[in-house]
Amino acid sequence: MILHLINRAPQHPAVYQALAESFSKGDHVLLIEDACYAALPGRQDVLAPFAGAVSALEEDLVSRGLRKRVGDSLEVVDMAGFVSLTELYSRSLSWF
Amino acid sequence: MTTIQNIDAARHDLLVILRHAPHGSAWLREGLEVALVAAAFGKRVALMFQADGVYALMAGQQAGALGQKGTHPQIAMLEMYDIETLWVSEEALLQRGLEPDDLMLPVTLLDSRTLAHVTRENPYTLVF
Amino acid sequence: MTTQTLTVDGNTIALDAEGYLVSLADWSPALATALAASEGRELTPDHWEVIDLMRAFYQRYEAAPAMRPLVKAMRQSLGEDKASSLYLMRLFPGSDSRETPAKIVARLAGLPKPTNCL
Repeated sequence: MILHLINRAPQHPAVYQALAESFSKGDHVLLIEDACYAALPGRQDVLAPFAGAVSALEEDLVSRGLRKRVGDSLEVVDMAGFVSLTELYSRSLSWF
Repeated sequence: MTTIQNIDAARHDLLVILRHAPHGSAWLREGLEVALVAAAFGKRVALMFQADGVYALMAGQQAGALGQKGTHPQIAMLEMYDIETLWVSEEALLQRGLEPDDLMLPVTLLDSRTLAHVTRENPYTLVF
Repeated sequence: MTTQTLTVDGNTIALDAEGYLVSLADWSPALATALAASEGRELTPDHWEVIDLMRAFYQRYEAAPAMRPLVKAMRQSLGEDKASSLYLMRLFPGSDSRETPAKIVARLAGLPKPTNCL
């Protein structure tokens, strides 16, 4: 099982699509940096292939003013949660 | 079409995923360098072309207008380093209006499910 | 960067710290012979066919090959008998183990150091 880290805004759909092609059931996606914009309810179409398996990093949401705007379908994790995720999954892959 | 049933996904030491087009950035060149170095040391390397990375395989590429080196000689050189596994996202290719005949080398097309399988089965994967 | 020079037919040719040509356009067969002599090597037809092969490889792929692809190119062009690193090491002995035949031939052929070869 793989933890996929993505840091690009949803205006780069090709990055999300490449991730989707490499994504298997049981994998997880963590939105970091500009990928946090994909957590906005109006921008979540790029996350459709990962339904139920997406988290966003709290610190990066906060710095972008997005913390209170995150859609219900997402889990928010802080830095400690990020570390826990890396322990939970055997490998991490970065998509940028 | 190669599918999960007939692919031998896990016989490689390293999988390099290439997602960037030639010329515009150094990502593609650097990914290919890594693959070639690993192969020079006898590692079995597979390449996977996704997104704009499929443009790396376009037939008829040339050097830049100012003579900047392209990446097509590196692609042509892969066989000399025994890098023979070239996987291509079928969806990425079709989305760009391309067919295998438009490419400079024979490749293996993978559907999304098989591509995910290949990523899962290769523990050493580098994304470029 | 120029750190050494070699004089061939009255021309002064710039070399870098490792003895590779600073300007690839300076190469000539006479220069290869002089460069080899400065390293205590004498070039025979067996040496020249490898040097020519290396230059053809560079022409085609824009990179000097590491050992494995060089041996593969030898197999394709010169036959199985000469397609071994042992053959190349006998022909182009290095001063230490890091000085592979691929590096020596690239230098004599006037090419950059093979980049895929640490």
